[in-house]
Amino acid sequence: MTPVIEVQNLKKYFQTPRGLLHAVDDVTFTIEAGKTLGVVGESGCGKSTLGRTIIHLHESTAGKIFLEGQDVTKVSGKALKKAREKMQIIFQDPYSSLDPRKSIDSTIREPLAVSGRFSKPEIEDRTKQLMELVGIDERLQKAYPHELDGGRRQRVGIARALALDPKFVVCDEPVSALDVSIQAQVLNLLKKLQMDHGLTYMFVTHDMSVVRHISDDICVMYLGQVVEKCSAKELFKSPMHPYTKALLSAIPSVDIHHPTKREILKGELTSPINPQPGCRFAARCPYAGEACHQAQKQEEVSKGHFVTCCRVHEVN
Amino acid sequence: MSENKTENKNMPFLSIKDLKVEYMSDGQAVHAVNGVSLTLERGKTLGLVGETGAGKTTIAKSILRILPDIGCHIRQGEICLDGDNVLTLPEHDMRKIRGNKVSMIFQDPMTALNPVQRVGEQIAEVVQLHSDGKTDSEARAKEMLEIVGIPAERYYEYPHQFSGGMKQRVVIAIALACNPDLLLADEPTTALDVTIQAQVMDLIGELQKKYNTAMLLITHDMGVVAQVCDDVAVIYAGNIVEYGTKEQIFDHPSHPYTVGLFGAIPDMNEDEIWLHPIDGLPPDPTDLPQGCAFSPRCKYAGEECQKGPIAIYETADGHHCRCCRVDEIRKQEG
Repeated sequence: MTPVIEVQNLKKYFQTPRGLLHAVDDVTFTIEAGKTLGVVGESGCGKSTLGRTIIHLHESTAGKIFLEGQDVTKVSGKALKKAREKMQIIFQDPYSSLDPRKSIDSTIREPLAVSGRFSKPEIEDRTKQLMELVGIDERLQKAYPHELDGGRRQRVGIARALALDPKFVVCDEPVSALDVSIQAQVLNLLKKLQMDHGLTYMFVTHDMSVVRHISDDICVMYLGQVVEKCSAKELFKSPMHPYTKALLSAIPSVDIHHPTKREILKGELTSPINPQPGCRFAARCPYAGEACHQAQKQEEVSKGHFVTCCRVHEVN
Repeated sequence: MSENKTENKNMPFLSIKDLKVEYMSDGQAVHAVNGVSLTLERGKTLGLVGETGAGKTTIAKSILRILPDIGCHIRQGEICLDGDNVLTLPEHDMRKIRGNKVSMIFQDPMTALNPVQRVGEQIAEVVQLHSDGKTDSEARAKEMLEIVGIPAERYYEYPHQFSGGMKQRVVIAIALACNPDLLLADEPTTALDVTIQAQVMDLIGELQKKYNTAMLLITHDMGVVAQVCDDVAVIYAGNIVEYGTKEQIFDHPSHPYTVGLFGAIPDMNEDEIWLHPIDGLPPDPTDLPQGCAFSPRCKYAGEECQKGPIAIYETADGHHCRCCRVDEIRKQEG
C-alpha cells in the first residue's frame, strides 16, 4: 500500500542575519494510512517547522514530499489548493489561531466556501455536521472565540481542519495550551475522529506522556535532525540514543514510590545557525568522544529501530 | 526584620487563614480565592495544584501583597508570616519583606526580566535594596550567576542574549539572592523543556536544602509535585478541596476532583485507547454554584452537595477532604 505521506531527505533552512539556520535537516519518514507518527523534541528543534513544511506553509529548501504517492514538493497554484484539501493542520494555540472577529460558524464555513465544491445549503448543512462532530453546541454557532474556553476553541480548530475531509492532518501541539482534564477530552476526540474517518496524523508535541499515548511510531528530533525513530512501544522500552535516554529520564514521574534515576544534562543547546558537521547533541552528551564531531549516519540497530549515533553500541 | 519573635515559636512559619480575594470585572465580582487556609513550615515544600484560573497565583501574590491596587480586594483572612500578619503591615515594612524574606519566581521568564537592563544589574538591584550598604552587590550577583550555572562574565549581557532556560535561572538567581525564608515559585518550569526543567528543579532543591527555605510551589504538573513536594493542596475554583502529605494525596486521593485529575493524565506504563477526562468545564468564577463548586462535574454529586458550603473533613491524620460524600464514595469504589 502507498503510504499517505512520504518525506525524503527534507530540508528547510532559513536565512538569518547571522547565517543559515538549519531548522529541518535531512528528515526522512513515511506514515501509513490511519497511523499516527509522533514527533517529539524540545522547543526550537524544528518539529513544528517540519510539519509546516510538509503541508507547504513553508517552502522546502531540498528533499521530496509525496502525498498518496504523488510528488507534491513543488506544487503551486491550483494543484497546491487541491493538495491542501487533503492535508490540513491543527495549530498549537487556540487563543491566537482563530480570527477574533469571525463567529464560530463562519470560521468553520470558510474552507467549505473557498473550495468551491459546495452549494450554499450544502455548506450550511456541513457546518452544522462539523460542529456536531467535534462536540460544539449548536447554540454557540454565532459565538466569537473570546467567548469560548481553550478546549472549545481547539474543537473549532479541529472542525475547520476536518472541513474538507483531509487524509493527513498535522497536529501541532494541539493540547499543550490546555489543562489536563480538558486535554484528555480533546485527545479522545482526535482518536475517535481518526478511527471513524481513517485519518493519518503527524502529532507534534513536547509532552512525552501524550506522545506515548497517541502515537504508533515516534521520531525524536534534536536541532533539526531525527536522532531516533521507532515504534512508540520500543522507544519507551529501550531508548538507544543518549538524547532520547536523557529526555525520557527527565520526565517527572507521578510514581512517588519508584522515583526514576535521572540523568541531568549539562550545558546549553548548540546553535542551529551554520552548525558544524557532526552530532549536534555532542556538546551536552555524557558519552561524546572524538568520532562524534564527524558527520553521523543513521543506523538500523534492530528491525524498524533507527538511531543516529556513532557510539550507539558502546553506549548501550 | 529580626525582632523578638520568641512568643511565636509554636506557630507555623507561614499560616494562611480563611483567605478571600475578589476581583471586580465589568461590575461583577470574580471570586478568585474563597476561604483558603494552609500552613507551611521552614524547609518544607507545599505544592499548590490546580487548573488555570483556580486562584493559585492570586494566593501567592496575596502573601507578597502585590495584587493590583485597583479592582482587587482581599475580603477577609489572615496571612501570618513568622508571627506577623502581613495583611496589616504598613507598606514600608512590606518592602523590606519582598525580595528579602519572601521572594517569588514568576511564571514567564520572558516577561519577568527588564529587557533594557543588564541581567547582572537586575540581580544586584535586589541585593543593594536589602543590604546594609556594605555588601558588594555586584560580587554577590556574580556569585548568584555562578550558583545557577551561568558564567559570571555574562553579568553585562541583556536578557535577549539568553536562552529561555537561562533567563529562568536568572529569575531564580534574583529570587534567591537574599537567601529568602520563603520562596513562592509560580510554575517555575512550565515555560521550559523537560531536560532544562530537570536542571532547574534540581537547582532549586539544592539551594532550598542549603538555606532551609520554605517553598510554596504552584504547578499543574503532578509529575513535578511527585518529585519535590512534601505536602500537597489541591485547589478548585478558589478553594482547597484536598490537603495532605504527598503520600496521602498520591496513594489515597479522596476528592472526586483529585481522583479525576490523576485519571486524566495519560499513563506512561499502560496502553489504553481512551483517556478518562473530567466531563464539563470549571465553573464561572463570577457565578459559582451553590454548595460544592465541583458538583456540576461530579459523577457522585447528590442533593446534599448543592445545599450550602461544604466543610473540609479530616479523613486521616492530616489528610483533609472537602467532600460531604467522601465516605460513601470510598465504600462504593472499594
